[in-house]
Amino acid sequence: MEIVSLNQISPDQVIIWSWGFIKINATILYTWLVMAILVFISWFVTRNLSSDINVSRWQHFLEVVISVIRGEISEMTKKGADNYIPLIGTLFLFICTSNVLAIVPGYVAPTSSITTTASLALCVFIAVPYYGVSRNGLFHYLKEYFQPNFIFFPFHVMGEISRTLALTVRLFGNIMSHEKVIGILLAVTPLLFPVVMQALGLLIGVIQAYIFAILSMVYIASALSAEEEHHSHSEVKKEGSSV
Amino acid sequence: MHIDWFVLFCQIFNFLLLVYLLKKFLYSRIIKAMDDREAKIAARFADAEEMKAKAIEAAEIYAKRNQMLDETKERLLNEATMAAEAKRKELMDNVRQEVDQVKVRWQDMLVREQNAFFCDLRQRAAKQLYATARKALSDLADADLEERIVDEFIRRVKALDQEKSVQIRNAIRGGGNQVTIQSAFGISDQRKAQIEEVLKKQITNGFTLRYMRQPEIVSGIELRVNGHKIAWSLNEYLETLVESLTETLQKEAHAA
Repeated sequence: MEIVSLNQISPDQVIIWSWGFIKINATILYTWLVMAILVFISWFVTRNLSSDINVSRWQHFLEVVISVIRGEISEMTKKGADNYIPLIGTLFLFICTSNVLAIVPGYVAPTSSITTTASLALCVFIAVPYYGVSRNGLFHYLKEYFQPNFIFFPFHVMGEISRTLALTVRLFGNIMSHEKVIGILLAVTPLLFPVVMQALGLLIGVIQAYIFAILSMVYIASALSAEEEHHSHSEVKKEGSSV
Repeated sequence: MHIDWFVLFCQIFNFLLLVYLLKKFLYSRIIKAMDDREAKIAARFADAEEMKAKAIEAAEIYAKRNQMLDETKERLLNEATMAAEAKRKELMDNVRQEVDQVKVRWQDMLVREQNAFFCDLRQRAAKQLYATARKALSDLADADLEERIVDEFIRRVKALDQEKSVQIRNAIRGGGNQVTIQSAFGISDQRKAQIEEVLKKQITNGFTLRYMRQPEIVSGIELRVNGHKIAWSLNEYLETLVESLTETLQKEAHAA
């Protein structure tokens, strides 16, 4: 007797099509589905945007979402929030949509695959030095790894890797375990209780999306703010020397 | 916990593609729309602030104008009030003058009417008194009274002083030596002779004497010669009585 189906353990295991090392599994398929939904809604709503007072409800909805994301980013970076919206906003929207769609029967969230969460965490892992270097330059960015002295360099590197791993495992663990719990509960108490757990799953999915996006922004902001402190210190020194 | 590297890179590619697509179709457009709206709202606020400033400025201007208008109105009102007061005084003076003039005219007219009335009254009273007295005296007249009248006339002729006698004598001569004696009654021949004798003795003897009956001379007799006369009649007393009566009536009217 199969209590939990294979695709409920990990969508990576469900291979739909393969040709050599190239293969299309359920994770990629559902990822495309989420991407298609997001892109279609974005294109559909934004094809007739209005900058007047009277706008459509969908535009209002998207503006609210973007405004909230923009506000959250602005609270951490203070300025230049629009530079980080594509990455942070897409992280949030993708993870949130993936998790919320779990309510649809037959659908398996791509975020319940560690491959997906690892790829997202890798993107953040690359984005942090990218924004840090592009904003402050390579030298100042690398110098942060040797603060307060060179002994801390390995710890900084380990910190970078471990927080990427944490991002990966936190999202994967929450979503995968939740789906497993739902699967087990369906076998034990098939009435009512799984519905409550599904509702809880929606909440957890949104919260996890928020946590992932916010943590990513925190990591990026920490790389930026450290250099800003350096800039402010150097400006104070310059003012002091000129006096 | 298996990680398929192809799927991993495929997911990275998918995510980056999604970032690109959403950036193109969602963020840039939505942010642009929001920024445009914010700019429009800011522009509207700026316009509103500008209009508000203009409105405040206009309100201040209007307030100043209103104040000026009020001051002008008050000044004009004061001037008009003063002019009206002056005009009123002038008109009142004119009216007073006119009233005074009317009053004077009225008083004059009243006085004239009073005078006319008293004149008329006097005349009527005199006429009435005269007529009454005359009627009474005519009724009372008898031979004895007529004799006494003639005696009184003779006495008066005798009592003429020298100067009067000369004047009458000259008048007789100037009047063609004609002497007329008028009386209200007939005089007997004896009495006529006495009169003539007295006249000749007292004045002159070169004249012609003529007698005439004249009822208007109330119980009297008079000698008329070229502007001079010697007479006695009740007329004199009656006229004196009328004058006295008139004077008394006027005094009483003034006192009233």
